[in-house]
Order: sequence, then structure tokens, then C-alpha cells
Amino acid sequence: MRPLATRLLTALATVFVVAAVLLELAAGEVVAAAVDGTGLVALVMAWVIVMRLPASPVGPALAWCSGATGLVRSVDGVAAGAFGDQLASHAHVINDGIWPINLAGLLALLLAFPDGRLRGRPWSFVPWLFILGGVLILCGLWGSDEPTGAALIAVLLGLTLVGLTMILAVASVFIRYRRGSDLERVQFSWLVLAGALVVALLVTGWVLEALGASLAVAYTPFVMGIAVLIPLAVGVAIVRHDLFDIDRILSDGAAWVLTLLASAATFGAVVLGVGQVVHRHTAIGSTAAAFVTALALLPTHRYVSEGIARVIDRDRHVAVVQVERFAAQVRGGQRQPEEVESALREAQGDAALRLMLADGEGWVDLTGQAVDLPGGVVLESGGDSVARLVLSRDSARARRRAAALVRAAWVPIEVSRLRLGLRRSQTRLAEASAAERRRLERDLHDGAQQRIVATGMRLRSLQRGLGPRQASEVDAAVAELEETVKELRRLARGVRPSRLDDGLGPALEQLKESSPVPLDLAVGKVGAIDDSRTLTAYLIASEAVANALKHAQASRIRVSVEKAGDSLAVQVVDDGVGGVPSHGSLTSLRDRVSSIGGRITVESPAGIGTTITAVL
Amino acid sequence: MRIVVAEDLVLFREGLARLLGESGHKVVAAVGDAVALVEAVAEHAPDLAIVDIRMPPDLESDGAKAAVILRASHPNTGVLLLSQHIELGHCLGLLGTPGFGYLLKDRVLRLDEFEDALQRVAGGGSALDPEIVQALVKSRAASALDALTQRELEILSLVAEGQSNTAVATVFALSERTVEAHMRSIFTKLGLQDDGTTHRRVRAVVTYLESR
Repeated sequence: MRPLATRLLTALATVFVVAAVLLELAAGEVVAAAVDGTGLVALVMAWVIVMRLPASPVGPALAWCSGATGLVRSVDGVAAGAFGDQLASHAHVINDGIWPINLAGLLALLLAFPDGRLRGRPWSFVPWLFILGGVLILCGLWGSDEPTGAALIAVLLGLTLVGLTMILAVASVFIRYRRGSDLERVQFSWLVLAGALVVALLVTGWVLEALGASLAVAYTPFVMGIAVLIPLAVGVAIVRHDLFDIDRILSDGAAWVLTLLASAATFGAVVLGVGQVVHRHTAIGSTAAAFVTALALLPTHRYVSEGIARVIDRDRHVAVVQVERFAAQVRGGQRQPEEVESALREAQGDAALRLMLADGEGWVDLTGQAVDLPGGVVLESGGDSVARLVLSRDSARARRRAAALVRAAWVPIEVSRLRLGLRRSQTRLAEASAAERRRLERDLHDGAQQRIVATGMRLRSLQRGLGPRQASEVDAAVAELEETVKELRRLARGVRPSRLDDGLGPALEQLKESSPVPLDLAVGKVGAIDDSRTLTAYLIASEAVANALKHAQASRIRVSVEKAGDSLAVQVVDDGVGGVPSHGSLTSLRDRVSSIGGRITVESPAGIGTTITAVL
Repeated sequence: MRIVVAEDLVLFREGLARLLGESGHKVVAAVGDAVALVEAVAEHAPDLAIVDIRMPPDLESDGAKAAVILRASHPNTGVLLLSQHIELGHCLGLLGTPGFGYLLKDRVLRLDEFEDALQRVAGGGSALDPEIVQALVKSRAASALDALTQRELEILSLVAEGQSNTAVATVFALSERTVEAHMRSIFTKLGLQDDGTTHRRVRAVVTYLESR
């Protein structure tokens, strides 16, 4: 709508309300004027909305909720003779049939709330049907409140149309709530809250009336409720929909009200029941009732809030339950805690959601890669930030849901963080140990070996000036030194085979050469592997081969290495005596493998042989 | 002959320079890193450069990398790499090519063998440490060499070390003609045609070393 049109409509509604109040005051009907005066609340909210959203029809619609009443009341006042008899007779002609206008504002509000647009093309007929119905009623009742013949049929048809359009308008609200976006649902929640309170006031009115209160006392809160609460709710929903965690308030409030009612019913039933049995008015009844009620209070509340949460805030409830189920599966060992990010994504309905874990000063993702995205929901434990959830669709509501989900996923998140930390420190240790071996090997080569060879060269220099007997002595000494160098080379190879510099394949070839029994070697294309994995793979193979030779009396050994996805698979199979226990054996191999985040399995049926498989 | 020595450990470098001097060679430069080596060779154009495989600046295989550079830029200077252990990596492409040698450091102590290797490499032949050859032979996969007999393999492995037919004949107590016959058989089995040059011999050795 054009801003000018919304302002004009709202202004017109204001004029009618003010006119109605003034007319009633002039007629001396103070109560009626006060009741109509409450319509000013709707007008104030309407003007707030018009100022904030000048193009939205919600403002004028809200204004006309009370403006329409003002119009009808004004016509009523005119008909009563406020502006002379001539005008009164004109007004009187239409007075009986004008009441459907009372509903016009409400209808427009229901159809246009909350974003000011109708729900699709078919719905644009609803206002026209309403106008048609209104006109039929007006014509049927023209000048007479007891229509006959064709006029009666017109009135009945008009009533049907007006009733139908109201039903359709209410239905549109429900459809919008069921299918609406997060924002729309929050806005509707405000309306539902106000509506529920109005209904509660109506019920209170019935109770008061039944207890003998006058109609004015019984129903004034209800009427005022309509006039004040609904406009307030609409205004808040449009202007400040994220004022509070409305879904929580709604569901918690409803849960407590229902719990209260259930408790009261329980109390009453027990008192009555005990009264029937004991046939005397004693304290037993109320004591027992208090006991039973107290006993039932918490379970009832839990049950009721579950149910209400499922109805009112279905999405969040389902999401939290989903995450809780995941956490339970992690506890039961069916799923890995590291899957928590995908579980949260699914529950939050946000496929690009990122979970970051605290790592010292910075943040890492679940695989340990450093990431730093701004914002998000922070999860704290004992005052320290443990994790941060960054949403791709960020809103106050999304954050509140995320906070609930993160609380539900606390244990898996904390476990993955700790596991990641452990794995990283193990990797650092493994890398440090690989580097240490490399340094040691280098020291042996560049230190001891070099000195020995240098000493040998000095001896050779000396040898030139010596006689044949001494010369052969020197020959023997130099030969001794050469053996020492060979010995050192073998030693260094045990620390870290230097052929590993040429790759895992050549290093394993060297292992094959030194094996006294046939050793089949199958090294697939493994590409570039980091140093600690290369060393670990080699040490597994060499230790497994050494075990097969030493303990298993194997006559044939097969060593295979292949790349399986991101990991490296090393397998050593022998045909020896087998019978190696699958647990508690090969401790040093296991430690070595787990230190770089790998797995090792041992299959060793007695008499058939041993298969050791390590995935790094 | 005129030699440049490149070795970062002073003890070894001085010892080697002294031995070489006593054997009648002239050490024109003794340097401690790969950069200085390339400069020294450019300046002196020696007959031979004896190079430690592991040298500064990065203490990995600078010597091997420098060897590759020198073989390309100064084809008349032979390069003999020395290493504490078998570490092929960067110089794999040079193995068995003319004017290149690769020995373990302790081989220096066997003066005669060492002198022999120096002469071969400086003279455009090749010299490979028997241990390296052995490692390569043992670790070879199924290849063209499977067609060779045991004796032919033994002969080829000596040829790969850089030995002449005469030297091979002495080792196996055969006549030189028999060795030549074996070599012809090896060439045929490896599919190497006689193109009138000595390259066939080199190519046989390369085939042998590459098929590890």
C-alpha cells in the first residue's frame, strides 16, 4: 500500500473513534465512552506501526479494529439524534444493517498479519466476499430490522458470507503459523499469547458471572483485554518481535497454567473422594489431597511442558530431542562425538553451521584445522570458553535455539575437544620422536663415523713412511676402523633407516634384503607421506617381521603397504604358529600407532599364522 | 690431477686433501659448502670434484644437487659424491652416467680402490660403491634384467661399478673374450643395438640401475 493511503485510513479510523467517544460523552454515557476510549490503545499501536512500516496495511487494519467500532457507534449516536432529527432518520435507515463493519478491521488484520501481504491469490477474494456479504445485510435490513421475503434471503446470504469469510480469515492465521518462516511464527506467537489471555479473561468472566457478579464486572476485563492486549500484541509482534523469548514464555506459561489446573483438579478429586469414603469432614481429606497433589506436581508439569513444547514450539522441541538422542548414542558408543557438528547442523536446520573448539588462544574445527569465524554462540564450562557455534543464518531466535542445542550437545562437544587435544599432543610427541631419531642418526653419521674415517685417513698418511711390518699393522688397524664404521651404519639404520629419505618403498626393500626367509613385498602408490607416519609404518613392518622370525617360526612373510583414502594401511602376514593374543600384545607397536592417531589389529589363530594390520 | 674437495667437516676435508696430495694430486680448492663448490669449479675448472652429499646450507642433499648442476655446466669435470650411507634421492639420474661416481666415505681408506675410482671418474668413466650396486640389485623389481643369467648379472653389476672388461675378467678368472661374449649377450637381451659408440655399455648400466 502507498504510505499516504495507510496514513489516511489510519487517520479516518482515529476520527471515528474520537467522534464516537465525544458523541457518547455528549449523550452522558460515560461507561460506553470509557469502553470505546480503550480503542485509543489500538490507535496508538496502529500509528506506531504506520510510522515504522508506512507501506504495511497492518497499521490501518489495526486502527480499523477499533475505528470500525467507532464508526458504528458514531452512526448509532447520530441515529440517536446527536445532530438533529433529519440526520438521525437517515442514520436510522442504515443503523440496523451496519454492524458487519465492526468485523472489517479484524478481518483485514487476520488476513494481512504479520507481513502485510495476503497468503496467495485465492485469498484476495476473501475481502470482496466480506464486502458482498456486508452489502447484502445492509440492503436486507434497510430501514427495517424485521426483513421478509427477498430481503430475508439477502440477509441470510449475507450472514453466511460474512461468517464464511471470518472462518477463512482465522484459518489463514493457522495456515500461516504452520507454514510460516521462523520470523512469522514468532510474530504469531505474540498474537497467540494475547489471544490465550483474552480467552482466559472470558473464562474468568463466565466464572464470575456464575458466582453472581454483574455483567459489567464479569466481562469488562474481557472487553478491555480485547481492546488492549490484542493491539499491544500486534504492535510488539510487528515492531519488536524478539523482545522476549516469546516461545519459551508461551510454552512455560501455558505449561504452568495447565499444571495448576491439573493440580487443583487432583486436589478437589482427592478431597471429594476421601469425603465419600470417610463420610465426615476431617483434615484427612485435605492432608491426603495435599500429599497426592505435591507428589503429582513435578511429573505433571514435566509431562505437560513436554506436550506444550511439542505443540507450541514444535521445531525447537524436535531439534533439542534430536540432539539429546545423538548425545545418548554417543554415550552408548553407537556414534562418534566428532559427528556433533553434523548433528547440530541437522537439528538447527543450518547446513553451513560451524562448530569451533577452543584451542589455547585460538579456535579449531573438529579435525583440528585452525579456523576463526566471528560471532556465534559461545559455550562455557567453568568460566572458560569451550566451543563456539557460528550460524550461517543468524537471528536472535536462531541463537536462542542454538544455545538450547549446544547445551544438549555439551558432553559430545567437550569429549571431542578433549579427544582432539589428546590426539594433537600425541602427534606432537610422535613428531618430536621422529625428529629426535633423525637427529640421532645424523649425529652418528656426521659425528662418530666421520671422525673414525678421518682417523683412518691419518693412519693411511702415516703408513707411507713405515716399513712393511708396521705398514701391515696399520692395514689391520684401518680394516678394524672400517668394520666399526659398518657397525655404526647398521646401528644408525636401526634408529632410523637412512633409506627412509628415499621413501618407504626403498626402506622396506632393505628390510626384505635382510630377511632370512622369503619376504613378499607389495608397496602400492602411497604418494608423499609425512615423516612420522613413514617412520611408524616402517617400524611396524620391521618389528612385525622381527617378531614373525623370532617367535612365530614363519617360513614366509608378506608385507603390504597401500594408501586407503587419507590413511596408510600396513599389513604384515606370516604363516607361523600364530596364537598371539589380540589384546595385551605388541604394546610398543600399539603405543606407537596410537601416538599418531592410528589403529592396529592383530588376528592370530593358533597354527595358521598372524596378520597384523595397522591403519595410520 | 687437479681436484676440488667440498666437505663441511674440517677433519675429514683436511685428511682427504692430505691423502690426495700424498698420492700426487693437486687439491686446487677445499671448500665447505655447495655454493662455494660451484664457484670453485667455475674458477679452477678441475679434472675432478670430490663432493660430500650432505653439506650446508640446508644439510640435506646439497652435494647431490650441486653434482647435478656441475655435470650439466662442466662436463669435463668429473664428480665423485661421498656419502656416509646410501642416500640416492637427488642423484638417481646421474647413476651410471659417464664422469660420475658415488662412494661411501669409508671407501677412502682403501687407497688403491679409491685411486682407481678417482681415475675412472676423472677419465669420463663411472664408479659406484659395491654396496650401492648391491642394494640396487637386490631391491630391483621384475624387469628386463630377469632374462639375464646369474653370471651375466654378476658381470653387469661390476660393469655398473665402473670396471673395465679386463678388470671383470680378472675378478671372475675368465678370458677377456668370454667377458665380451657375455656383454654381447647382455646387450641383446636388453634390446640395445650397436650404434658404433660406447654408449651401449652406459645404457646397459643405466637400465640395470634404473630397474631397481
